[in-house]
Amino acid sequence: MKNIKRMLRIHRIFMAQEFKRMMEYKGDFIVGIIGFFLVQLSNLMFLWIIFGQIPDLAGWSVNEVVFIYGMSLIPKGIDHFFFDNLWSVGYFIVRKGDFDKYLTRPVNTYFHVLVEKIQIDALGELIMGIALVCVSAPGIRADWDAFRVLAFIAVIPFVTLIFTGVKTITASVAFWAKRSGNVIYMFYMFSDFAKYPTTVYNRLVQNVITYIIPFALTSYFPALFILKGENPLFNLGMPVLASAVLMGAGIMVWHKGIRAYESAGS
Amino acid sequence: MKRKLKIYLPFVNAGMQEVATYRVNWIFFMLGEALSCFVTYFIWAAVYSSGDKESMNGFTMPQMIVYIVLMFLTGTIIASDGAYVVGEEIRDGSIIMRMIKPVSYNATFLFQELGNKLPTEIAIAAPMIITVEVIRTMISGVLQFNALSLILYLFSCALAYLISFYFNICFGFTAFVIKYLWGANMMKNVVVGFLSGAVVPLSFLPGVLEKVFLFLPFASLNYTPVMIYMGKYTGAQLLYYIGLQVFWVLFFFGLSKLLWRISVKRLSSQGG
Amino acid sequence: MITVDKLRKEFKKTVKEPGLKGSVKSLFKPKSEKVVAVRDISFSVEEGEILGFIGPNGAGKSTVIKMLTGILTPTAGSCTINGKNPTQNRQSYVKEIGVVFGQRTQLWWDLPLRETYGVLKEIYEVPEDSYNRRMAFLNEVLELEEFIASPVRTLSLGQRMRADIAASLLHSPKVLFLDEPTIGLDVVVKDNIRKAIEYINRHEKTTVILTTHDLADIEQLSKRIVMIDKGTKVFDGSIAGLKTQYGQIRELTFETGVANAAAVLEYAKHFSLGEEDVSVETEGNVVKVRFNSAAVPVSDILSYTLNKVSVSDISVKDADIEEIIRRLYGQGAV
Repeated sequence: MKNIKRMLRIHRIFMAQEFKRMMEYKGDFIVGIIGFFLVQLSNLMFLWIIFGQIPDLAGWSVNEVVFIYGMSLIPKGIDHFFFDNLWSVGYFIVRKGDFDKYLTRPVNTYFHVLVEKIQIDALGELIMGIALVCVSAPGIRADWDAFRVLAFIAVIPFVTLIFTGVKTITASVAFWAKRSGNVIYMFYMFSDFAKYPTTVYNRLVQNVITYIIPFALTSYFPALFILKGENPLFNLGMPVLASAVLMGAGIMVWHKGIRAYESAGS
Repeated sequence: MKRKLKIYLPFVNAGMQEVATYRVNWIFFMLGEALSCFVTYFIWAAVYSSGDKESMNGFTMPQMIVYIVLMFLTGTIIASDGAYVVGEEIRDGSIIMRMIKPVSYNATFLFQELGNKLPTEIAIAAPMIITVEVIRTMISGVLQFNALSLILYLFSCALAYLISFYFNICFGFTAFVIKYLWGANMMKNVVVGFLSGAVVPLSFLPGVLEKVFLFLPFASLNYTPVMIYMGKYTGAQLLYYIGLQVFWVLFFFGLSKLLWRISVKRLSSQGG
Repeated sequence: MITVDKLRKEFKKTVKEPGLKGSVKSLFKPKSEKVVAVRDISFSVEEGEILGFIGPNGAGKSTVIKMLTGILTPTAGSCTINGKNPTQNRQSYVKEIGVVFGQRTQLWWDLPLRETYGVLKEIYEVPEDSYNRRMAFLNEVLELEEFIASPVRTLSLGQRMRADIAASLLHSPKVLFLDEPTIGLDVVVKDNIRKAIEYINRHEKTTVILTTHDLADIEQLSKRIVMIDKGTKVFDGSIAGLKTQYGQIRELTFETGVANAAAVLEYAKHFSLGEEDVSVETEGNVVKVRFNSAAVPVSDILSYTLNKVSVSDISVKDADIEEIIRRLYGQGAV
């Protein structure tokens, strides 16, 4: 308990430092947010253009597709906002030996790395995601009761950890291979599949993104329950289970990796 | 001319060695990039099977597959790091060093990047072009490969790379204003990607937009080479679009020189 | 205080054959070999001691330091500080130590220096009142006041080093590790830093383990040296001890009008000395002869020289520590 209190305290201190840093570089953060906003806008143009050609996409209406798309951006954005520092572990912190710093401090290294930085750019994704969900939801069904909304909100933290878990496992590869930035990138790009209803993909892809690199669990499956009330055990249970498994595996690999960490130089 | 090129050969070599060192890393990166290509493919497949039209804005489903693959390939061929390199130099001030070097910095960098790209381009271009041809042949039943198209495509790609190279050098100068290089580059990539048809073929856009976009330099990057390979540009049209590419090469080459001169003035009056 | 017992570290190194074929091969079937960087090193350090830890590049010096600071996990053996062991409980172990790496900083780059101390206070759980007292003390010793409000990126190298040392001492560690604390600094700043380290050591009985390329650091600060080479401890003792063990070296300097004095004299041939026992340097008409007085007595070499060439201004002196170490490692860097 005392430990958790201390962690929260450290988290708050780091956040405060990050906001101070941001104030020093205001322009940068506006550029970043607009950048990520534009990325999503360009993807929306794509959706708009294809729906100009067809009435529905493999049986999914515009609103449903937009809802799933928006929903996929929310966990992605939250993970991006809070846990972006994992990318740096894969790209340079380990390779340059800067990981030494974390090991000489009396704080859990994984926790330290996670809370040290926040990435304000992510607001571009997050705001767009929330907006799309809000815009599309009323058009899908009229009866949005408190239960549905709660289910939506409750599942978000778990599916966020699916992103974090995948990033943790792949970032840890750097402890053995010195750098793993592009390994993170490759696996992270699987989240692109989560933007659209999983049924548009073939069997193989469907199985991969449900059971192996389970990004389909971050938007499509929870949306099946939230929108259509289908199979709550699988559609909500699987994302929760997957996030626990991935985070557990991630933390394990991380701590194994630390023992293999070789620092830099002689 | 030959003598002049010889000075730059070591830079090509240095670039090639760099790639060799980071090969595994690069493979992972390309696999990641390819994934979004797969997503696009599946979406278009769903679009064509959801609609009742066999051809949309001049593209049949097999043509769309070819388009997606070629867009990806062309995108990697013409990619250039210039914006980042120049931006970084402006940010850390080392751009001043260029003023005292006897060789043209842009040319040095161009050759180093070529060396960097050549082995990787050959490694991915050949199998991808073969894949495209196999897909086309499987669907239509006849071999559609046309050597002339391939040669024209490669020529057009070379021009597109030069546009991309000098455009990125020019964009790098924005670092005088925007200090967040990564963010600025992301913004640039998105806008350029959309305007060059990487998201949807430009023929899917409303008439006026399509006309404007086709004239803009960005269509000369990916879109023109791909259209040429697919045999959509022929005769006078072909000449027009290649001419337009040449025009944009010269334009950005000139602009990069101009921006360089302006920044020299700025640097020398401010003392860096 | 600190006990290092048969500490050992092995690295796996992938061996790549040259050329494209080699790269492809190593991609599919990587071959690796075991490299022993540190070979069963043992030593202990008393409270309040300043230990100079030296050795040539690649000797395993930083590997040892990184194991002692909890960064690297030893392959075998152990190190304990006050009974605490980094492999068993890293977090409680590192509370006992402070670490400064001269070529890295642990300061928050973009923020005013003061902010770093505020964060470290939380990380190390320093209570408010002892934090204030501590800052006052560090400020007095390291003179942080003049730049504590400036962003770290604007600090000079010397200021940054002072700030980094202060950061490592904020939680009053029992042991301070300093890896190249004076690297890249000018003479005056180096001297200030040394004085500060000495002051802290004297006042707080802080144990200091110091590695450096600048042997003046060692001569000024530490009474004891541990030297390692190729991962093995080759010397452990006082500087005076080092001099008696290896320091039979003397330097004979004289001026002569004879143009090619070195060739005329041929010390190596005359006394049948090996390369490691004698070396001659000529600068204008000044000749410097370094020789091992255990191999050839001082009186012999003196009378031989005086007989052979006409000299003025002749002198013989003991070599300093830097020369001893240079001799031990050939001409390479220390």
